[in-house]
Amino acid sequence: MRTGSTVNRRTAALLPLVAFLAALPSMAPAFFINFVMTQTLMLGLAAATIVFLAKYGGMVSLAQFLLFGVAGFMYGNAALEAGSRGLNLGWHPWAAVASALAVTTAAAFALGALASRTTGLYYLMLTLVYAVIGYFVFAQITEISGPSGITSIERPELLAAPVSLYYTALGLSVLAYIGFRALGRTAFGLALQGVRDDPVRMASLGFNVPLHRTLAFALGGFVAGLGGLVNVWWNGQIDPASIGIGPTLILLIIAVIGGVSHFEGAWLGAFVYVLMFTYLRDLPLIDRIGITEARFNTVIGAIVLLIMVLSPQGLAGIADRLRRRLPRPRRPGAERPAKTTGRLTRAELIDE
Amino acid sequence: MAEADTTDAEPDGAAPIVQVRSVRVAFGGLLALRGIDLDVARGERLAILGPNGAGKTTLFNVIAGDIAPTGGTVAIKGVDCTRLPSRRRPRLGVARTYQKARTFEGLSVADNIYLALAGHRRRHRVPWRSAVDRRMRAEAERVAESVRLGDHRGTAAGALAHGQRRQLELGMALATEPEVLMLDEPASGLSRGEREHLVTLLEALPEAVTVLLIEHDMDVAFRIAGRVVVMADGETIAAGTPDQVRGDPRVHEIYLGSEGGT
Repeated sequence: MRTGSTVNRRTAALLPLVAFLAALPSMAPAFFINFVMTQTLMLGLAAATIVFLAKYGGMVSLAQFLLFGVAGFMYGNAALEAGSRGLNLGWHPWAAVASALAVTTAAAFALGALASRTTGLYYLMLTLVYAVIGYFVFAQITEISGPSGITSIERPELLAAPVSLYYTALGLSVLAYIGFRALGRTAFGLALQGVRDDPVRMASLGFNVPLHRTLAFALGGFVAGLGGLVNVWWNGQIDPASIGIGPTLILLIIAVIGGVSHFEGAWLGAFVYVLMFTYLRDLPLIDRIGITEARFNTVIGAIVLLIMVLSPQGLAGIADRLRRRLPRPRRPGAERPAKTTGRLTRAELIDE
Repeated sequence: MAEADTTDAEPDGAAPIVQVRSVRVAFGGLLALRGIDLDVARGERLAILGPNGAGKTTLFNVIAGDIAPTGGTVAIKGVDCTRLPSRRRPRLGVARTYQKARTFEGLSVADNIYLALAGHRRRHRVPWRSAVDRRMRAEAERVAESVRLGDHRGTAAGALAHGQRRQLELGMALATEPEVLMLDEPASGLSRGEREHLVTLLEALPEAVTVLLIEHDMDVAFRIAGRVVVMADGETIAAGTPDQVRGDPRVHEIYLGSEGGT
């Protein structure tokens, strides 16, 4: 089928990149893999859920980082056996994984149901309130978050080697990317886009609009939870400050600089953010021009603004424009017939 | 409250498929509908005429469940659905179009129709693609052809011309094979050719399909409708066959006279 082949072509184009990323640990320094790339992939995974909800559902959620954190806290509570921090349930690591994902998805379902009757700015504000309340819940109920966070969290044995975390994050990212894109062509995904465009019309076609929004939010929560698990394995600890407003906004910035209308943008944005965060301060002479550690966030802010000025669609928007511009000189006539068959329009629809 | 009898009360042939009783709608201090009574028989083709502000679309919104009436009741197929949310009415066989075409702008023509089908068949929460899905897609393409959008099936609805969006909305309504088809000014903004096609399509509907039509184009309305109801200021002022209504002096005064009558 035509639409299927468009998706498949995009997936095929992904193969060389995935192969490159899979081979990267043998080419790049361990620090780059275990610090920069693993962080990129797990933050990208969480940011992709913002893109998913915004692109398909028209719901801009600020609660995704909270859900990311809920999964981490729940894993820490369930997996640790002893020590003074958290609930110390002492479950098998994989049971802890399952329970963390179940709790995160259930929390997302409940929060999503509450928010499902709002849209636009109100959705944004309500999910920001979720993030704030969530932070206080974990900051003040120390039984589930430890007095200053849950520490010494170990990963399942299977993931003991540092590079295995990178591969886990890579695998989950690839699955999420392909899954989200494919979902857009299913009845569920199309209905979600219908809800985005005209909820009243959707209701008159027999759709339960609030439930549809809720299910999408729960799915987003599940995927954010996967990212949150990788995060807590990677960090080995989690504390309430790490899911506060600051990190919440950073995730939004990642999605925005990447481009909220492109799934690629989530990982691209995360990559740029982690690169800046990691290497900017090491650039030679950077302190001479007044960029000291204390002014670092201001610099990131300026770079974000610059990207927005260059392309309101974010980095993925820039990439998209380049991609469209490049093949044109070679085949000037190619566009017209494609348009009349609707092929180009369809591809654009899927892309944007 | 009154959505009690959901047990499928299949009416005997004579019972009206749509029954509106003393429906009143107030928007703040403004009475948009002042006690409307309307019976529509199964298979009837009814046109609702009236000047702007007469309350025609409000009446449609009440029947389709987009707004709840301030007073009175609405029954469809004998089921009291005064308070039934709009999303439940398609199950009673109701499909509608809107005065200002409401389509999903970011989705293609075929996807718009596909969604109408998915909603109708209650398959909208299926997160994968299946054989049923492929059949529905093929069906959506056939419907697109039937409303002359075959060449545009991959075009985003937001990129369609006005007349084409109306055709698309009609296609979305027809795709669900409704028992009660409610069309709110389907011919407005259509070219002569598109209007002819619309009339042909509506005339070709199975006899059992009930059509409620709001239309300013008298030619279209009188060709399709077997009965005409004229509204003004939230009330019914005349009803009858097209000829009877054409001859009614009140109607002439209020509506036809001022609009030229053709």
